[in-house]
Amino acid sequence: MSVTASTHAAPGNPRGRRTLAALAAARAWIFLILLVVVFEIWSQIAYGTTFIFSSFNIRSIAVFAVAPVLLGLGQTLVIISGGIDLSVGFTMGLAAVIAAHVANGVGAAAGPGIGLLAAFVVALGATMVPGWINGVLVARLRVPPFIGTLGMYGVARGAAYLFADGTTVPVQNNWLTWLGNGRILGIPALVIIAVAVVAIFHYLLSETLFGQYTYAIGGNRQASSRAGVNVRRVTIILYVLSALTAGIDGILYTGRFAAGAPQAGEPLLLDSIAAVVIGGASLFGGSGTIIGTIIGALIIAVIQYGLVFLNVEPFWQFIAVGLVIIISVLVDQSQRRFSGGRQDE
Amino acid sequence: MERRSVLGGLGLGLAGAASLAIPARAAGKSFTVALIPGLTTDAFYITMHRGAAAAAKALGVHLVFQGAPEFNPVQQVPVLDAVIARKPDALLIAPTDKVQLIKPLQAAASAGIPVITVDTYIGSGIYQTGSGDADFPLSYIASNNTLGGQMAARALAKELGGKGKVYVSNIQPGVSTTDERTAGFIDEMKKAFPGITVLPTQFNDDDANKAASQAQSVLARNPDLGGVFGANLFSAMGAANGIQQGGAAGKVKVVAFDAPQTIIGNIKSGLIDIAIAQHPAEIGWFGVAAAYAHLTGQSIPPAIATGFTIIDKQNVDDPATQKFVYSA
Repeated sequence: MSVTASTHAAPGNPRGRRTLAALAAARAWIFLILLVVVFEIWSQIAYGTTFIFSSFNIRSIAVFAVAPVLLGLGQTLVIISGGIDLSVGFTMGLAAVIAAHVANGVGAAAGPGIGLLAAFVVALGATMVPGWINGVLVARLRVPPFIGTLGMYGVARGAAYLFADGTTVPVQNNWLTWLGNGRILGIPALVIIAVAVVAIFHYLLSETLFGQYTYAIGGNRQASSRAGVNVRRVTIILYVLSALTAGIDGILYTGRFAAGAPQAGEPLLLDSIAAVVIGGASLFGGSGTIIGTIIGALIIAVIQYGLVFLNVEPFWQFIAVGLVIIISVLVDQSQRRFSGGRQDE
Repeated sequence: MERRSVLGGLGLGLAGAASLAIPARAAGKSFTVALIPGLTTDAFYITMHRGAAAAAKALGVHLVFQGAPEFNPVQQVPVLDAVIARKPDALLIAPTDKVQLIKPLQAAASAGIPVITVDTYIGSGIYQTGSGDADFPLSYIASNNTLGGQMAARALAKELGGKGKVYVSNIQPGVSTTDERTAGFIDEMKKAFPGITVLPTQFNDDDANKAASQAQSVLARNPDLGGVFGANLFSAMGAANGIQQGGAAGKVKVVAFDAPQTIIGNIKSGLIDIAIAQHPAEIGWFGVAAAYAHLTGQSIPPAIATGFTIIDKQNVDDPATQKFVYSA
């Protein structure tokens, strides 16, 4: 794998390999488009109405995708670096509970605006702690990411329940609930925030040296280290970023449902990892993109929303999402075999 | 009848043996009653603990509260075994599976610990009849979830004037309580309210985000949707948000089962219209009281049904309603 980690695209690839790589990168797009086309035709034939040319449906799908997307953003970086972060679900819950308490407490004393600001500062500050510990465990103490973050999953979970007194914390802060449910020019505020965070992460991964280091570490940790990459520092930052996106997710969840729930992120963890994998990231590290993860999350959202819209028996949703994951990984594997190596972007 | 006396005799024999080992108890020391909830991280069981603690205080009973963080037998059984090892005088438990908890609870019964199930049950939930291998618990203390579902149906039908489309937002199939609520709701709608169409039930994996998306989708497919019944906290919370996101807040009525603070807040803000509150504190109180009655030689009924309270915008601020809001 490339030892020179500073170039953007993997250099020196023969043309054929590049085409294949591009095709593989596009496969998530192709999948999403096919899915939408099938659902549209189905909806037209069975019900005589449109599926995708409806602002209501698009808005609903977008709002649904926000939670797994945010959880999957930091996760994408961690997975590209060859790690995994299982703690994000409860880091999200921890942030949700803390944000609820702070938005209520500070909001009552200093007004909802200050309360909202304080909720962001305190909740995000708090999530950096489990993120940093994850990073130190993995980078410095060489604990396998799966185990280290599994431990943190338990710790964050316990802390979230303790702060919440075992239940959900209702929120009385209009600003925070507006953030979760308000709209600007018909676009949900949630979606606008998510797009902004996505843009930052896309830039970080695809345009900065930090992003290249992330790929390099996932490609070959030792080689990156010899090439002068501060592997430990980058790894710690990756896990902190992962906790931060989970934290933002938790705060938005609290705003949306007017309740800080410790278990908010628990059912989302697997969906978010699935989104990353469907989006083309390899669990062995070294490949993946932010846009891929977004497409992956949208595929899951379209399936889940669409099948309800089309009145399909609920259990088919599980089967459909499961099949998409398997097919994605199969395509990924065969592409790897053809190209004989990892693909950078 | 006969079976009870056999069990009682066994219990007495073992109690005699235990009193030899622990002289303090023979000297009239207070009883220890263990309460094992379905899960520890749930407002319902936390409220049940509050009621149990109140009864324990009144009766001078020592109450132990231990459970698993998730509602599943794999995590509950080790907790149960550890509690049995400490030999409490009586055991109150919300079994997490009708079948899988029978054997572990038999171990408790044969160790001379009287078993009372609260909220959920083992076997058929009909105890002390001499039939089957799961009739050994002394009593089943709970609210009738089927009845709760029926009450939800009546309350919603009344809101809708007896006509319109509704659906149930449920967590996943196979959970006895939520299944019974759903069945009670659907049956009552079909039987008593022919003007109401019940759409297929949506399963959300206890994920509010998914429940919200489903509500939006059902609403998109059925713009004339009249109401949703959320069979538990996250189902109701999610459905209410989906209706709100779909711009139909107030138009589509949302009924929630259970009444934690969050649901109460949503009733005040108008996102949720009606909550069917169980009385978990009552279950806990009567659980400890029944155990105490049994331990002091009284007979207890094999089943105790606890009540429901319907909370809506009219009574949500009443002082009398507050004791039915779930809280520690």
